[in-house]
Amino acid sequence: MALSDVRPLLVLTGVSRSYGPLPALKPVDLQLAAGHCVALLGVNGSGKSTLLRIAAGRDAPTSGQVRYGGLPLLEDALVARTEIAMVGDTAATYPDLTVSEHLLLVAIAHGAGSAAPARVEAALAECRLADHADALPSALSSGQRQAMQLAAVLVRPRRLLILDEPEQRLDPGARRWLAGLLAAEKAGGTAVLLATHHVELADAIADEVLVLLDGDVIGRGAPAEALASLR
Amino acid sequence: MAAAPAAPAAPAAAETVDGTEAVLTLLRDVRRDQARARAANLAFWLYIAGLALFIYGGWLVAAVVGALRHPPPAVPDTPLLLRATPAGLCALMILIVAALLWDTLWRGPVTVARPTADWLLSTPVRRDRLLRPRYRRAAAISVLAGAAAGLVPATLLLAAGLGGPTAGHSLRLMGAGILGTALLAMLVTGVAAVAEAHASPRAIRTAIRACALAVLLLAGIAALTAAYRLSAVIGTVLLWSGPWGWAAQGLAGLAGGAAPLWPAALGLLAIAAIGTLVAGDRSAAQVPAAALRARAHTLGDMSAAVANLDARRVTTAYRGATGSYGRARLRIRPPLLRQLIVPWRDVTALLRAPARFAWSVLLSLAAVGLGALAVRSPHAALLALTGALVFGYLAAAALCEAARLDGDDPRRSAQLPIRYESLVWWHAIVPCAAMIVLVGGPAAALAVVTGHAWLLGLVAVTIPVLVGGALVNSYRGPLEGEMFAGFDTPVGNSSGVTITLWYITGPLLAIAPMIVFYNSALHTGALRANQHGHAATAVVLSAVLAAWLGFIAARRARRLRSG
Repeated sequence: MALSDVRPLLVLTGVSRSYGPLPALKPVDLQLAAGHCVALLGVNGSGKSTLLRIAAGRDAPTSGQVRYGGLPLLEDALVARTEIAMVGDTAATYPDLTVSEHLLLVAIAHGAGSAAPARVEAALAECRLADHADALPSALSSGQRQAMQLAAVLVRPRRLLILDEPEQRLDPGARRWLAGLLAAEKAGGTAVLLATHHVELADAIADEVLVLLDGDVIGRGAPAEALASLR
Repeated sequence: MAAAPAAPAAPAAAETVDGTEAVLTLLRDVRRDQARARAANLAFWLYIAGLALFIYGGWLVAAVVGALRHPPPAVPDTPLLLRATPAGLCALMILIVAALLWDTLWRGPVTVARPTADWLLSTPVRRDRLLRPRYRRAAAISVLAGAAAGLVPATLLLAAGLGGPTAGHSLRLMGAGILGTALLAMLVTGVAAVAEAHASPRAIRTAIRACALAVLLLAGIAALTAAYRLSAVIGTVLLWSGPWGWAAQGLAGLAGGAAPLWPAALGLLAIAAIGTLVAGDRSAAQVPAAALRARAHTLGDMSAAVANLDARRVTTAYRGATGSYGRARLRIRPPLLRQLIVPWRDVTALLRAPARFAWSVLLSLAAVGLGALAVRSPHAALLALTGALVFGYLAAAALCEAARLDGDDPRRSAQLPIRYESLVWWHAIVPCAAMIVLVGGPAAALAVVTGHAWLLGLVAVTIPVLVGGALVNSYRGPLEGEMFAGFDTPVGNSSGVTITLWYITGPLLAIAPMIVFYNSALHTGALRANQHGHAATAVVLSAVLAAWLGFIAARRARRLRSG
C-alpha cells in the first residue's frame, strides 16, 4: 500500500528548530502513516535527533506544525503518552529496579493488568534478556541496556514507534534481529520513524528515506533512490 | 608505485626492558610545573583555612589553651561521665574505624588518578613503584586526620572536668588522645590496604555495618553505666576488647578511670599498627587494576561534582562506586492496578535501600522527641521546634529517593503514560504514608502519655508539608552555570547566596512558615489548650502550604523536562 493511499498518522509541516542563532533543523515536511516506516539518514549533527524529538513532541519546533492523528501534537496529551513510544540513543534506567521490574512498571502503568507478567516474559525472551530478568541495570552491557529499551516498547501499546539509532551498541546478530522486529512492527500496523547510520537497515525496512545534512533535507524518496543520491 | 614501508616488528617479550623508572622520571619531569602549582594551591588553601580558624574559631582555640593551662574543675555530673568513659570512648574509636573503612569502600588508601589508571595500569610498569608511594601518602594523611580526631574526646573530657589538676595532666590527656587515635588510624589504613587487595567490598560493607551496630550498643552501655552503677569489669573488658579499646585506654586512664595498664595498651596498639602498616605496604601493589580503574573514575566524577557544587552528583557517584544498588534482594509483587504502580515503585526503592529507611526512622524518632520537648519546655520551644521540623524534613527527604531519581533524569519515566509533572504528586503518596507510620506511632504514644490528643493532629498536618518541601528539592535539577557568576553587591558577589538558596529552597519553604505558626501557637498556649480555632487554622495552613509546595515541585519538573 502506498503512503498516499492511507491517512497519515503523523504530519510535520514546515518544521524547523533553531538553538539561538544556530539552525539545527531547516523547514522539513514529513508524513507517516500506520504500517509505514520513514528512515532518517545523515552524519552526526545533521538534525536527525532534533527531528525525532519534535516528532515525539519532546521538543517544540521553532516554526511549523506537528499533528498526530489530525490534532496538534502535545507530549502531555493522553493519546501521545499511550500511543507514541520512543527509544532514545542512550538508555536511562532506574538503578534500583531490575530489568523485569522496569518492564512490569511500564506494562502495568499502561494498563496491562494481569497480562503484564506474561507480556514481560515474552518481551524478555524476544529481546534475549530472559537470563538477565533479575539483574539490575548496572550489571548489563550497553547492548543489553539498548535491548532493554526495546523490550520496554514491546510491553506497551504503540501506534507510532520512534527510534534514535537503535542499532548502536548491538552486535551484527542483534542488528538482524532488530530489522526483523521493526518489520514485524510495521506489519502489525505500527508507524515507525527511525534515525540510523545503518544504511542496510534503512534499505531493508523503510518505505521512505530522508537524507539530512546540516539540518537540511538533501535527498528523499524510496530507499533505493534516496540511497543512490547519498552514494 | 613505491612499496609501502614495512611496519616495524614488535619486540619479543624477552627483549623488553623494565621501563618503570624511565616512565616515572618522565612523568615527574612533565608534571613538575603542575606539581609546583598544586603545592602553591594547597599552601594557599591551608593559609585560608588557618585564617578562617583564627578569625572564626580563635575564641575556641583560646578557650582550649586556657582550659589546658587551668583545667576546669569537676562538676556534679563528672563521676557519672567517668563511669561512662570506657564504653563512650570505645564507641568513638569504633566510629573512627567505621569512617576510615567507609572511605576505603569508595576511594581506598590506594588510589591513582584517572590518567594513570587509563594509561599506565595496562603497561608493564611495576605496580609497587606506582602504588606504594600513594599508599604511604594516604597513610600519612590518615594518621594526621586520626591525630586531629583525637583532640575531640580529649577536649570533651577536659571540658567535663576530667583533665586533672594541672596543665601537665591536661597536656598528657591531649597527647594520649592524639597518639591513640593516630595509631588507630594507622592500623585501619593498613588493614584497609590489605582488604583492598584481598577482600571484597562486601566484606568491608559488612564490617561497616558491624561497626555501626557496635557504636549503638556501646552508646547504650555508656548511657546505662552513667545512669546505674554497673560492674567496672564491663569497662575493663571493653577497653581490652580490641584496638579501639587500646586506643581509648590512654584517655580513660589519664581521665581518672580504671585503666592502669594504658601505656601497655598503647604499646600493643603501636606494634599492631606498625605491623598492619607494613602488611598494607606489601599489599598495596596487589590491588587489582579493575578496582583501581573504577575508583579513579569515581574520584574523577566526584571531583567534578564537588567542583560544580553538585551534591546530588556526588551522591550518585558515591552510590555507583560503593555498589549501593548491588543486588535486588528484597522484592514485592507489582500491583495489577495501574493507579498503584508508582507507589509500588516507591516502596521498591525503599526496600532496595534499607539503610535509607532506617535513617529515616531514626530522624523521625528524633523529630518526635524534639517536638515533645518543644511542647514541654516553653523556654526552649523555638530551638526544639526548629530541630523537630529539620529532622522531620530530613526524614521525609530520605523517603523521596524515587522522586529524586526521576528528577535526576526525566528520560527514566519516558515510557510511562503519566505526565512528568504529575509524577510529582504520585511520588508524594509513599513518603506521606511512611512518615505517618513512622512519626504517627511515637506521636500516638506521646499523646496517650501526655493527654495531648492534638499532637496527633499536629503530626498529620505537618507531614504533607515536609514531604512537599522534599519534593521541591527532588526536582531542583542540576546547578545552572550562571549561578556561579552571580552579580556584585556592596557586600560581595551574590553567587554564594544564590547557590545556597537553590539548595535549601525546599526545606526553607516548608519549615519556615511552620516554625512561625507553631511557635506563636506554643507561646500563646493555644495548642495546649486544645483550641479548635487554632487546630482548624493549622489544618488549613498546612493544606495550603503542602499544595503550594506540590505545585512548585510540579513546575520545577515541567522546567526540567523541557530542558
